[in-house]
Amino acid sequence: MLSLARSSLDYNLGRRGGDAPLGYPETAYELPVVFGLTDMKVRALADAEPVLSLAEGLIRKPPTLANALDAGAATLLAAEVLGALSHKGGNPFPPPSTGFIPDSILRKLGIFMVDGSVPGVAVAVGKADDPAAAAAMIRQFQEIGLLVFLAGGLVGQAEKAGVKLGDDFRTFPLGPLPAVIHAVNFAVRAGLTFGGLGRGQADAMYGYLANRVKAFVCALGPLDDIALAVAAGAMKAGFPVFTDQELPEIPGLLFRRAAGEEMVRSGMEARGIKVKIVKVPIPIAFGPAYEGERIRKSDTHAEFGGGRATAYELVTSAPLTEVRDKEITVVGPDIAGIPKGGTLPLGIVVTVAGNRMQKDFESVLERRIHRIVNYGEGTMHVAQRDTTWIRVSDEAVSRGFTLSDLGMMLYAKIHADFENIVDKVSVTIHTREEDVLAGLAHAKTIYAERDARARTLTDDAVEEFYSCTLCQSFAPNHVCIVAPERLGLCGAINWLDGKAGYEITPTGPNQPVKKGAVLNSVKGAWDGVNAFVREHSRNTVPGFNLYSIMDAPMTSCGCFECILAVIPEANGVMAVNREFAGAETPCGMGFSTLAGSVGGGAQTPGFMGVGKHYLLSRKFLGAEGGLPRLVWMTKEMKEQLGADLRARAAEIGMPDLIDKIADETIAVTPDKLLEHLVKVGHPALSMPSLL
Amino acid sequence: MTVAFPKQAFPGRVLEVTLPAAEGGTPVIVGGQNALPLAPEGEKHNPVAVGMEVGTGSGEIPPSLAHALGGREKDPVSLARACEDEWGASFIFLSLSGCHPDNGSQTVAMGAKLARDVLAAVRCPVIVGGCGDEEIDAKLFPAVAEAAPRPVFLSYADEKNYRLVGGAALAYGHGVVSWSPIDINMAKQINLLLSDIGVPPERILIDPLTGGLGYGLEYTYSIVERIRLAGLSGDAMLARPVLCHLGDAWKAREAVDASEPSWGDPDVRGPRWEEATGWACLAAGADLLVCRHPGNAALLRGTSWR
Repeated sequence: MLSLARSSLDYNLGRRGGDAPLGYPETAYELPVVFGLTDMKVRALADAEPVLSLAEGLIRKPPTLANALDAGAATLLAAEVLGALSHKGGNPFPPPSTGFIPDSILRKLGIFMVDGSVPGVAVAVGKADDPAAAAAMIRQFQEIGLLVFLAGGLVGQAEKAGVKLGDDFRTFPLGPLPAVIHAVNFAVRAGLTFGGLGRGQADAMYGYLANRVKAFVCALGPLDDIALAVAAGAMKAGFPVFTDQELPEIPGLLFRRAAGEEMVRSGMEARGIKVKIVKVPIPIAFGPAYEGERIRKSDTHAEFGGGRATAYELVTSAPLTEVRDKEITVVGPDIAGIPKGGTLPLGIVVTVAGNRMQKDFESVLERRIHRIVNYGEGTMHVAQRDTTWIRVSDEAVSRGFTLSDLGMMLYAKIHADFENIVDKVSVTIHTREEDVLAGLAHAKTIYAERDARARTLTDDAVEEFYSCTLCQSFAPNHVCIVAPERLGLCGAINWLDGKAGYEITPTGPNQPVKKGAVLNSVKGAWDGVNAFVREHSRNTVPGFNLYSIMDAPMTSCGCFECILAVIPEANGVMAVNREFAGAETPCGMGFSTLAGSVGGGAQTPGFMGVGKHYLLSRKFLGAEGGLPRLVWMTKEMKEQLGADLRARAAEIGMPDLIDKIADETIAVTPDKLLEHLVKVGHPALSMPSLL
Repeated sequence: MTVAFPKQAFPGRVLEVTLPAAEGGTPVIVGGQNALPLAPEGEKHNPVAVGMEVGTGSGEIPPSLAHALGGREKDPVSLARACEDEWGASFIFLSLSGCHPDNGSQTVAMGAKLARDVLAAVRCPVIVGGCGDEEIDAKLFPAVAEAAPRPVFLSYADEKNYRLVGGAALAYGHGVVSWSPIDINMAKQINLLLSDIGVPPERILIDPLTGGLGYGLEYTYSIVERIRLAGLSGDAMLARPVLCHLGDAWKAREAVDASEPSWGDPDVRGPRWEEATGWACLAAGADLLVCRHPGNAALLRGTSWR
C-alpha cells in the first residue's frame, strides 16, 4: 500500500508539481485520517510527502503484534494519501461505487449513530467465495439497521445479487479494496464532528474509534497483501476483523468465523451492538396499561401454578458464550393443546448474560417477571418463585397466544429494561411434569443460595449504601438511603435494586453512597452518608441516623408503606400501614392525617415513614431498643408479616412478643392501649424512657 | 450604629453561554453570574435576554395577542422581522408548531424551509423548537439542523430524544435546550446525558418547563430557584442558564376568557398575565424569557434590578 501511494504521489508530483492541491471533495477535514491522527496539514501534493515518510517510519521488524498494528497505522495513512490522489477529479470509480463519502452524509448518518437508531457499522471487504451467502449477510446487516460499507469484489457481487445499495439503505459500496479507507476516514470524521476531537489528537481518536464507533470488519475470501494490510489498519483503529479464511486468531482483534449469520452475530457481540425492539411481536397487546388487569376464573382459558399445578420461575445468569440470544424454547405441550379451564405444570427459566451482569441482579430481574407477564392483555401473574400463578384469558388464546409468546414478552422486556446490564437473554418454558419437578428442585437450591446470600448482606458487611432521589420531584429535599437492612420507605427498592438501578442508569436516582467512617453504630450514623444527604438535600438536612426514630430520623417523601409514630404514654411506637382506612389509632390520627405531617422531606423526631419489611430488620429502631418497642400495629400488618415477625421475636428471645402487640380491635386510644400493655406485660413499659 | 448586610458568597458560577447572531446582529450572552437575582452582592454582568416566540401553526391565537401582533401571526417571516426590528426581541424562538398533525400538518421539509427563511430574515439569535410530536420531531430536528445556515439552539432535548437532538446539534454545530418536566434531578440528568454524548456545556440551556401564573408557576419558581442554588453551590451540571418560556400563561382562562366582563379588558389581562409570569421567573433566576406579546418584550427587558 505504501509503495503504491509512494509511486502514485511521485507520478502526480512529476506531472502537476508540489503546489497542486490535494484533498477530498466536500470535506472540512483535508485528509481526515491524517487530520485526526497527526498534526500535519495536507493541502497540496507536497504536503503528502512527510505523511508517507511518517508512515514508512512506522513499519518495523520484527513481526510482533505491536509492530503489525503500527504497520496498520502506516497503511491507513498511505491509503488515505492514495485515496485523495485518486479523487482529484471527483469519485474515480464507476457506479454504484461511491468513493469518498462527503461530510454532508456523515453528518446526516452521524445523528442516527449518536441516536442509536444506527446501532453499529459493518465493513465488508474482499470477494466472497459464495456470493449468495455474502449477499444474504449484507441484507442481514441492513435488517439490523447497521451502516454498511463494502469494498472489493463484494461490490459487484452485491450489485449482481440485487442487494439494495445507497444512502437510503445506509449501504455504501465504496469501490475496490483500497477504497475501504473511506470507511476509516468516515469513522475518523465522526470522531472529529461528534466526538469533539481536534487535529492530531491521535490517542483520543483511537479511543473514540475503539469505544464509540461500534464497527467491525468482515473480510471475505482469500486475503492478498493489500487486504491483510487493510485488516491490520482496521485492527489498529480498534475494529475487530472477522475472516472466513484459515488464519491464526488474535484474541479480541482477529477472529475466524464462517461467513453468514455466525459472522454477523460474532461481530455484533464483539462490539456490544444491541438491536432495540420497537414492538414486541406477540398476538396480544402489551404495555403498562394492562398491568392492573384481573382475569376471572370464568374468563380463564389456562392456568399455571397457583396451587393447582406445580410452577416456578427462575432467572439465572451465565457466561456470554453459553447463552444464545433470543432463543425461546417451549418444552412440552403448549396452551393450544389444553381445554378451557385446564392447567399445566410450568417452569419458566430465563438465562441472561452480559458483561456487566452480576449474580446479585438475578433476583432483581426475576421479580420483574411479575410485572412483565401482567403487561400482557389477557395474561395475569401473581406471586413469585415457586408460588407463581399465571392465568391466560380465553381472548388471548383465541388470538393465538402461546407460551412462546410469553417467552417473547420476557425476552423483549428484559432486554429493554436492563439494556445496560443484559446483552443476551434466552427463555425456556417447561410444561412436562417431570421436567418441571426436576427444574423446581434445582430452582429451590438457587432460591436457598440467594436467601443465604441475603442473610449475609448486612449494613455492616457492605461498603456502600444506595441513594434514591426518585421522589425529589415532589419532595425536593428528601433523600432515601437504602441499606441492606433498611429498604426504601416505599417498600419498592431494596439494596440490590438500588445497586442494579445504578448499573442500569448510572446518572439516575440510585447512586452509590460510601458509608465512610462510623459515627454511631447503634443509631446508624456514618459521615459518608451524612455528607451525601447534606449535598443532595441541598443543605437542608444535615444528616440522619438510619436506626433511630427519636434522634435525627431519616426524612420521608410521602410514599411510605407504613408510618411509625411514638406513643409517649406507652413508651413505644405504633405502626400503621397505608391501606388502613380507620380514622383512629392510639396516636390520635389515622394514616392519611399522619401522612400529612410525616412526608415532604421533613425530619420529624417521633414520626417516620418506613417500608413494612423494615419491621423485620435486625436494625429496626436499634437506637430505641428494636422490636420490643412496637406496642401497636394494624391487624392487617400483623397478619401480613405474621410468621416473619414471630420468627424475629423468637430470635430476640421474646417468642410471645407479637401476641402482646395491640391492634385496632384491642385499642385505638392511648389509655386503652396502656391498659392492654400492662395486662399482657409488654416489654416496652420497662424499657428506658423514649422522651 | 451600622448593620452590615449579610452577604452570601457562592463557590459556583453559572456558565456563560452565547447564542450566536448572524453577521451584523447582536449575539445574546447569558449566565456568568455568581449570585442570586435581586440580591445586592455578586457579579451579574449579563442582563436578562428577552426573546419572542414566532409560531408556524394554523391554530387560532388569543384575540388579544392577535391584535398586538397586527395580523402578522400567519406569516412567520414578517412576524420574526417585526419581533426583532419593531419590538426589540433579543432573540427569536421559532416554534415549528405547524408541523404537528393537529396544527397545520406542514411537512418536515416545509418546517426546515421556514427555519431557513426566518434565519435569513433576522440577524438576532434563533432558537428552533419542534412541534411536540415525537415521531415528527425525530425527523424535524435533523432536517432543521441541516437546513440552518448558521448556528441555532434546538429546543428541546428530553430524556427520550436527547441522543437525536444532541447528535443533530453536534453534526452541524448547534446548541441544545435541555428540557425536564419541573424536576431538578431530571434537569441534571439530561445535562449529564448530553455531556456524555459530547455536547459542549457552553452550548446548553436549561428549560425547566414553565407553568403559567395560577397553573403551576409556583412549581416552576421553586425548581428554577433550586436549579440556580444547586448551580451556585457547585453543581456544574446545573450551573447553566435557565430559559423560561412564558407561552403557558396564554393557556390560562383568566388570561384570555372574554366572557367574564368583571375580569376586565382581555387586551390588558392577557399581556398582564404573561408579564406577571415573566417577573416571577426572573425573580426565581431565569436568564432568558420567551414571551409572545410585543409589549412584554420591552417591559421585561428593562430589568435593571437584576
